[in-house]
Amino acid sequence: MSSSYQQTQHLKTSIRILQSVIATIMLILLGRAFQLQVIDYDEYAPVSQSNSIRQEQITAARGTIVDRNGVVIVENTPVYSLYVTPNVFKDSHADLLAELMNVPVEEVRARLAKARAYSWHRPSRLFDEVEFDDFSKVEENIWRLPGLSHQIESKRVYPTDVNGSHVLGYLSEVTEKEYKSDSGYSLGDKAGRSGIERSYEQNLRGVNGVEYRVVNAYGQNIGPYENGDEDLEPVKGHTLFTSIDARVQALAEELMKGKTGSLVAMDPRNGEIIALVSAPDFDIDRLSGKMDLPYWRELNSGGLGRPLFNRAVTTRQPPGSTFKPLMGLIGLRLGVITAETRVFCSGGYFLGRLYRCTERHGSQNLEEAIQNSCNTYYYSLMHKIVQQHGLQMWHDMAKQFGLGRLSYVDLPSEDTGILPDSLYFDRAFGVRKWGIGDMISLGIGQGAMGFSPLQMAVVTSAIANGGNWVQPHVVRTIRDQDGVETMVKARVTKIDWVRDADLEVVKQGMRLAVLNGGGRIYVNMPEIEVAGKTGTAQNPHGFDHGWYIGFAPLNEPTIAVAVIIENGGFGSISAAPIASLLIEQYLSGEVKRENVKNAVLNFVPRKAEVRR
Amino acid sequence: MTWYRQFDWITFGSWALLTVIGLTAIYSATLGPVSQFLPESIQQNFSKQLVFVALAFCGLVLIQFTAPRTFEQVSYLAYAFFLLLTLSTIFIGVEVNGAKSWLDIGGFRLQTSELMKVATLMAVANYLTSRRDISAVRIGTAVTATLLILVPAVIILLQNDTGTALVFLPLIPVMLFLSGLPRGVSLLMISPAIVGYMSLISWVLGLLAAIILAFLIYMIQKQPWLSVAALVFNVLVVVGVNVALTEVLQPHQVNRIEAFINPQVDPRGAGWNVIQATTAIGSGGFFGKGFLQGTQTQLRFLPEQWTDFIFCVIGEEWGLLGTSVVIITLLVLLMRLMSNAISIKNPFSQLMFVGAATIFFTHVLINLGSTMGLMPIIGIPLPFISYGGSAFLANTLLLGICLNAYYYQRELVVFGKAR
Repeated sequence: MSSSYQQTQHLKTSIRILQSVIATIMLILLGRAFQLQVIDYDEYAPVSQSNSIRQEQITAARGTIVDRNGVVIVENTPVYSLYVTPNVFKDSHADLLAELMNVPVEEVRARLAKARAYSWHRPSRLFDEVEFDDFSKVEENIWRLPGLSHQIESKRVYPTDVNGSHVLGYLSEVTEKEYKSDSGYSLGDKAGRSGIERSYEQNLRGVNGVEYRVVNAYGQNIGPYENGDEDLEPVKGHTLFTSIDARVQALAEELMKGKTGSLVAMDPRNGEIIALVSAPDFDIDRLSGKMDLPYWRELNSGGLGRPLFNRAVTTRQPPGSTFKPLMGLIGLRLGVITAETRVFCSGGYFLGRLYRCTERHGSQNLEEAIQNSCNTYYYSLMHKIVQQHGLQMWHDMAKQFGLGRLSYVDLPSEDTGILPDSLYFDRAFGVRKWGIGDMISLGIGQGAMGFSPLQMAVVTSAIANGGNWVQPHVVRTIRDQDGVETMVKARVTKIDWVRDADLEVVKQGMRLAVLNGGGRIYVNMPEIEVAGKTGTAQNPHGFDHGWYIGFAPLNEPTIAVAVIIENGGFGSISAAPIASLLIEQYLSGEVKRENVKNAVLNFVPRKAEVRR
Repeated sequence: MTWYRQFDWITFGSWALLTVIGLTAIYSATLGPVSQFLPESIQQNFSKQLVFVALAFCGLVLIQFTAPRTFEQVSYLAYAFFLLLTLSTIFIGVEVNGAKSWLDIGGFRLQTSELMKVATLMAVANYLTSRRDISAVRIGTAVTATLLILVPAVIILLQNDTGTALVFLPLIPVMLFLSGLPRGVSLLMISPAIVGYMSLISWVLGLLAAIILAFLIYMIQKQPWLSVAALVFNVLVVVGVNVALTEVLQPHQVNRIEAFINPQVDPRGAGWNVIQATTAIGSGGFFGKGFLQGTQTQLRFLPEQWTDFIFCVIGEEWGLLGTSVVIITLLVLLMRLMSNAISIKNPFSQLMFVGAATIFFTHVLINLGSTMGLMPIIGIPLPFISYGGSAFLANTLLLGICLNAYYYQRELVVFGKAR
């Protein structure tokens, strides 16, 4: 009995011990629950919040670009990319994905391996620019493919024949520095890098939106957060209405194909750029989506002749004889010559040595000197200007035509060009290391001067429009997301020293140059009265550069063109026909002179023995 | 005395409350507002559990009409039967989540290991009390009892169901402890678990635990050789754990243990479950996010949230109110079972009560410890709450046997075994 009693007591105590152990541990567990839910609540609550709410950026649609006739030349198209999070994605699903994407399963596996090498936990891009059909097939089955997600990105498309690599410009992803310093950008956004895409970046880019989505652990979209009340709608970028004429621009690009050079066509009344081409150019389509690295390297390699360089606004080339009409205007205004002043050309101008002319022109007045491009006349004219008024006077007058200074055109990387004065010569050649010979060369557009076709187009416009400097520009109007339109204010400045009577003489000379001079073969058209001037600028490195400036119609000009074909030889056969075809296209809406067009397309540069 | 005065309403009430809480949580975890993203089979879990609850309730009632001696009498038969059944799953079982512990019986899937727990407890209790002496002082008796528990545990381990196998182990020290094994020896038996757990956190803690335990054993037993043996053995455990972590264990196992120490090392891999579980419970706060409102639950950040992580669902949606109700109810149930073990003067029933409490407690400790980030995650259901028909059925039957013993306690004493 006592043994039984002892046993019962022992059992009782043992159970009490067990009870207290269990009770203690249960209370510890309760304490842990209290710790998690009350003490550490502030730590866990935000984690669960951010767990289930995904902030997704909605990239704003970039503004579209429209030509002067309302034709859309740049717009956007969605591109779809598939992303994978390797640790969530099951290997056994590779077959299904391959089937949906219509690719061999080995390719899917190879891409998966690459994604894993990048990170197991972060999503990385599995397929780029997926076709819409494939994309929608994958999207229908996305619930069967945990770990797979997508992103819709936007890509620039160019619906017309216009390539516009230098006037429109290409885009590329913003750099780390850019998206860190500008809150409007985030990683993966694209920004304009050249052309008006860059100049009007602030207008075009719009404001990115934010969308809050509730997702589950697999990233499956369950629905909007707070009924979307917290979301921010993206704001579309502004629409740019440009003065580009898509058909003239496309024709200009076609004509410039295979050549090196550039051209600018503009409305002389207000400076609106109708066409702007720099050749060689690049395929803007290939730089509008994801970075095409091999192509990008090729463009920068130098083998293609620097296609990223915008010759139309950045190059500095001596204008050659296209400078002569302006010389005539300066001479008349300064009274050094009158319209009737005659200079006898015996094949050159003698000043210490013989400055050669192209031929013996005999007695020339200004009109004839423009028509025949007589160098002797302009050597003599420049000599008189420098003697009687000084180089500075010539410099200041020419500068008012926009030479040697910036026009602040709405395109990046504009260059001032070179319009020399004595200071410039001192710097370039050294004090007293230059003389009259260097100066009189300027009279025929040679020597220490260099302008871009844009500057020459502005000079041509000023001659055509009665002596007004016009600020060149591509964009006419900007329309914001509310439909409010803002005109781009381009400046027009009356050049005070220009007299109408003088202009008439020069314009007549340029008309005669088309009728009887260097432009008679390719430029002269029966229906359209064109005035112009060829130029052939000497080039110590190879074939001469061919220039042409012109405007039409003669009496009420609506288009002014400047063209340079580098190493093209005679301006009259390289640059002039291109200018005339653009004028024909712009004014008549079509090109009838197929023979001229074919001549341009099949053009092979020839060495120019004489310069006009 | 009327029948309802003899019935143990506290135990039954705890069972009912836990069952209702469990059903609510399973509903939330599988039929919430965005449950269409869950596989169809999982959306049926709630109704399946309802069927099992009904079935288990019928079993519970039926057991109350059974003669109290029956369980003692059938214990060896049940043990043999379920042992064979459990063994057969290794060959003809159905694999679910990597563990081959289910038998397909006419569309119903039965997890034999759960019923095996009940049968094992019955057999061991019967074995230890059928001796003339309720005592495990004799080494032969202790070894046989240990083997009775270890054999099914090893079979279940072979099924690749570590969690359930683990539940059997605490039965060994507890059963032997109650049967008269010296307390110091009992403490020695559970000391590796304590030292091992501490060693996971840091080897210094493990060593400290080993020294304190050796000291405690000396205090209880006053036998220097036992303390020295305990110290040496536990130091070997500390070394063993560290060797296992660096040399023996598979990388995924090491990952799981490291994730317990520092989940942020691999937040989307091994640390995922710990982070999401503690986040779910922690973000519930005091009042919870509300029924069907838990983002972690509804958006499926928790794996197996209807079974092993059901506590997170309760914690997130019902807050500290919900978790404390669950923990306190479980505590009441466990305390009640053990108090009954004292008041009932029948040795077999006493061992059954304490054994049942041990099994439930082991489940509770591992489940809550895992979900609240107190130990490496081991998948094991929370009794009466987690989804799982077999487990619910087995646990309820075990409770039914205890209720039966309580109801018929006078009869059992009258016809008690000869002492």
